[in-house]
Order: sequence, then structure tokens, then C-alpha cells
Amino acid sequence: MAHAFRRQGERLVGSFDADEIAVVVHVLRLTRDFVAPERPETGDPFLDLVAGLGDEVDPTEPSDPALRRLLPPASRDDDEQAAEFRRLTEHGLRQRKASTLATAIAALEAAAPPRLELDLGQGRALAVALTDARLILGERLGLRTDEDSERLHHELEAALAGETELDPALAQKMAYYDFLSWVQESVTTALMGH
Amino acid sequence: MPVDTPSPPAPPAGPQTTPQEQGGVAVLDRPESDRPWVTLVWNDPVNLMSYVTWVFQTHFGYTRSKAEKLMMDVHTVGRAVVSTGTREKMEADTEAMHGYGLWATFQKDD
Repeated sequence: MAHAFRRQGERLVGSFDADEIAVVVHVLRLTRDFVAPERPETGDPFLDLVAGLGDEVDPTEPSDPALRRLLPPASRDDDEQAAEFRRLTEHGLRQRKASTLATAIAALEAAAPPRLELDLGQGRALAVALTDARLILGERLGLRTDEDSERLHHELEAALAGETELDPALAQKMAYYDFLSWVQESVTTALMGH
Repeated sequence: MPVDTPSPPAPPAGPQTTPQEQGGVAVLDRPESDRPWVTLVWNDPVNLMSYVTWVFQTHFGYTRSKAEKLMMDVHTVGRAVVSTGTREKMEADTEAMHGYGLWATFQKDD
């Protein structure tokens, strides 16, 4: 049973079962694989930088709506501006997201359950990494508006109360989503505390 | 300009020049290039209120109360202007917001 993170000086300390940590690591790994740049690094920082500036990046919007949400258009009415922004920033954004996810995964894997202790940098990485994971899950759950979110939670409550049946796969995704939301709220609140 | 700076003495009156008679074009509106750009953050059903507040404090250095007010504007109005400045700065802010998973856009100020 997880206990929320608390701030202790420059550390964030929470309590999580090994299974709970494994769930978060699993979802963050999937998220990293999903968002990491399609073009692998060459290992040469200069070549990677030059490649990132080139026109190899496809300036069209990703076809997967979850990826489109992670890398959204930077204009809602100027397609040209959005395409230019995407060409210049997409590769770097994907690299940074993958790197942040890797930092969070490494911090969780280094934990000795049930104690989970993070420094502030690891805490920040976890908060940001969980956002990308939840944006993907949210898209897969069809959450596009605040009303969608409320409706889905009413459905879950009704199913838990035995009033209705919920598709088991959907219930599983919602359980993951709610748990990740709780972890993110916990780590964010601890980061903001003094 | 500091308010306590003494006024310089009035310049001596010289020959009157009248720019209006030189055929110049009077610029009444601010030139296009002077209009500032803005970064907007849009509401979404996934990002937590605490997280959005934390992002505004962390990236922009805003106080807790300013960050919370902007977050509530995003939440209730559907969007908020979170920064104002040059186009380059707004592009950088937009990219940073996307890094945090917030949906940001940038545009010329209306």
C-alpha cells in the first residue's frame, strides 16, 4: 500500500510496494519507447545536433493522436507556423522527454521497497515523466475534455458499486491512470512543499 | 525613467522646422514588429491543477499566487496568456511547455 511522498529537506520520501513501483516503471518504459526519437542517436553530439537541425524531421502532424498530444501544434490557426516549429523542435523535444523518462525509470529501479527516496532532480523527472504517461493513457481512454473525465469516473464508480459492468480492459487502463495520477499528485505536492 | 530626475532646462528656441511639411508619413499605429508575442496554455482534462501550478512556478519563476491564478484561468476560461515578449522568447516558452506536457501555442498579441 503506497504512502504519499513527503518532503524531507532536499529529499522526497515515499513508501511503495515493489509491485507498485514495477507498475510505474512498466508504464514509463512504454512511454519512453513511444516518445523516443525515431532516428537513433549516432553517439556523436555534433552529428546529432546537425541532424536535429536538418529537414529529416517530418513537419506533418503525427497520425497517432497520443503522439500528437505529446507534440502538439504550436498554433491553432497557422499551419505553416506549426509546421516550422515542429521541424525545429520535435527531435529535441523527443530526446529530452526520453531522457527525462530514463532518469525517472532509473530512480525508481534504484529504490529499496517499500522506501522510495528521490532527490529533487529525480522528483522533477518523475513528475514530468508521469505527465507524458498519463497523456498517452488519457488519449487511449478518450479523455479530450473535462466532461469526458467526469463521465468516465462516474462509469467506474457505478461499476465498482456493482450497478453496471465495465469492460475489464478499460477498467484496467483506468486503474493504471488513477494510480499514476495519485503518484503524480503526491510527488508534485511534495516538490512544492518546503 | 526615475521620477525624481530633475527636468533639464528647456532648449533655446531655434528656427522652427515643421516635419509635417516635409512629406513624411505619420505613423499612428505601432509598427507590426513592435507588437509583442504571447504564449498561451490551453486547458486539457489530464494535467493536474497542482502540476500546472508547479510548472508555471518552475519555468517562469512566478509566485505561487500568480501561478495559481494563471492555472485557474486555464482551467475555467480554457486558456491563458502565460508569457509575453519577443517571438523568439515565446517559441522557447512554447517548446518548454511542450516539454512539460502542457499544450501551448504562440502568436502575435491580439
